[in-house]
Amino acid sequence: MKPNLLDVDNVSKTFAGRGLFSRRMKRAVRNVSFSLDADRPEVFTIIGESGSGKSTLASMILNTARPTGGSIRFEGRDLAHIRSRRDRVAFMSRVQAIFQNPFDAFNPLKPVDRYLYTAAEVFSGCRTKEARETRVDDALHKVGLSLAEVSGRFPHEMSGGQLQRIAIARALVSSPSLIVADEPVSMIDASLRMTVINLFRMLRDDLGVSIIYITHDLATAYYISDRLIIMQTGEVVEAGDARQVLAAPRHPYSIRLREAVLSVDGAWRGTGLDAEAIQPSLR
Amino acid sequence: MTLLHPAAASAAAEDDAAIPLLSVDRLKAYYRLKLFGIDREVRAVDDVTFAIGRNEIYGLAGESSSGKSTLIKTIAGAIRPPLAVETGSVCFNFSDGTRDIYRLTPRELGEIRWKRLSYIMQGSMSVLNPVRRIRHSFTDFALPHVPEKGAAFAERIGRHLERLHLERSVLDAYPHELSGGMRQRVAIALATVCGPEFIIADEPTTALDVIVQKGVLAMLRGIQRELGSSVLFVTHDMAVHANLTDRLGIMYAGRLVEEGRTRDLFRQPLHPYTRHLISSLPQIGDDTPKKGLEGSPPNLAAPLSGCRFHPRCPLAIDICRREAPPMVAVAPGRRVACHVVTASPDAVAPAMEEVRP
Repeated sequence: MKPNLLDVDNVSKTFAGRGLFSRRMKRAVRNVSFSLDADRPEVFTIIGESGSGKSTLASMILNTARPTGGSIRFEGRDLAHIRSRRDRVAFMSRVQAIFQNPFDAFNPLKPVDRYLYTAAEVFSGCRTKEARETRVDDALHKVGLSLAEVSGRFPHEMSGGQLQRIAIARALVSSPSLIVADEPVSMIDASLRMTVINLFRMLRDDLGVSIIYITHDLATAYYISDRLIIMQTGEVVEAGDARQVLAAPRHPYSIRLREAVLSVDGAWRGTGLDAEAIQPSLR
Repeated sequence: MTLLHPAAASAAAEDDAAIPLLSVDRLKAYYRLKLFGIDREVRAVDDVTFAIGRNEIYGLAGESSSGKSTLIKTIAGAIRPPLAVETGSVCFNFSDGTRDIYRLTPRELGEIRWKRLSYIMQGSMSVLNPVRRIRHSFTDFALPHVPEKGAAFAERIGRHLERLHLERSVLDAYPHELSGGMRQRVAIALATVCGPEFIIADEPTTALDVIVQKGVLAMLRGIQRELGSSVLFVTHDMAVHANLTDRLGIMYAGRLVEEGRTRDLFRQPLHPYTRHLISSLPQIGDDTPKKGLEGSPPNLAAPLSGCRFHPRCPLAIDICRREAPPMVAVAPGRRVACHVVTASPDAVAPAMEEVRP
């Protein structure tokens, strides 16, 4: 049987408490389990507020942090066994990351195409300039850009949406099978946000890339995800089909989260701020 | 001074109520930069006219680089080079007299700030001093502006915090000991303790989690209704505008492109950009595909001729490329700057339906 794309198996992460004599331990992630099927690419969403452990979980999936309990297997292989540089590069070419602020992800003093070339060289083993250019141009075409548009340009010459698309192209250079996107649209302008979101859908449908989408925005999560988990202080409180969970959440925390989302329709129905104002739960 | 006839007096009072608290008239504020001997001007606020009445929350929506932050700075009188006001005026009609903000001396400006005009910023840490207890921040900001001193002053702050459902013990905390939402609540308490007539709120909840955001917005609305102040609320989050604001102005590339009552604007957006903003908003339970806007945001350093939205506009016609559309009142309290819409408002709706996915 073919192994799953990703198995997160009862994973925990504990940080030692701050302070010299403190014995307090902070359990950032507690016993989280889920799997992604290799044959069915999907958008898997992790929802949580700040401090819920969603970013810690992401860095463990990216193998930049080690779990203190449980194990993570990518294509059947335990991430703890990836040690040599060769194994690491092989892993990174299959699992790529996209971050929140594209302006932080790119060095402002370097032209953006340099990153794409480096990715092509390191992850795809393109030795010649022509091979690299073809590879990079391919990746840029997938996100609706071209090398001619991007070549030699610096981050400040781009809009946030364009730059985030280049970040996605960079992740696509090595033809990954999994992309971990940590709040990829929260810094992007409203008029361009849906372009990037729709791109994730295209990656899933046309390129067969699975995406772990980490967010606190329930509306975009509803729009693109297939399945989701909701995390609260390190624990998964609710998991399931995205539409079902968001339409009718069951766990008290999910219900609170769902009710806190301000919607336009809710504003006219009076389920918005006024409902809150009547019962001052401001503490 | 002659005594007014009672009827005349009440008429005068009505007049007074009709005068908006804030009037911004034909305001142009540019950044003038000199780089390697080349002069550049960035037209961040270009010919903006609007007014905010008493006891209302006026929302300002727009993406980054649409000029909304610059507009706030010019309204608050915080103008430092390279930002310069070219033309136009900003007038506040406070209860103790009308003030043109650009004719005030720094001293007079200092007197109205915080007492009559206060701010809530996105990062509360830029208001709260990280090495001083919250109590000291209150003393620093509010003490010069209120009549109470000493114990009476402490009592006033305590009562104000209680009114906002905050515990008095936060006064003894350092900012880093409080959560982000709590700090933002303290920042709101700080901004409202002197009972200002006008509050500028610049993305005060953008950095907060959803659950916390709702609480903070409800608190802001509660205190606004209680004080009867006017609020200029800036955010790019349309869902927040729908829930909080009374009237809404949409900015694009340094210009106001549409303005109206929030509800009307959401029910029937007129400007193509507003239509896009509202129709592309993802919502739970809504399964229709949403589209991003083609093209890139405008470069304010090299503004386009004509309407600044025309390269991205699905309705653009010839005149849009040549002439900038003026802001036209199409209905009471409703203004829009678009050649196509003002020429034939009825023709727009079907055309937009075709464009929509």
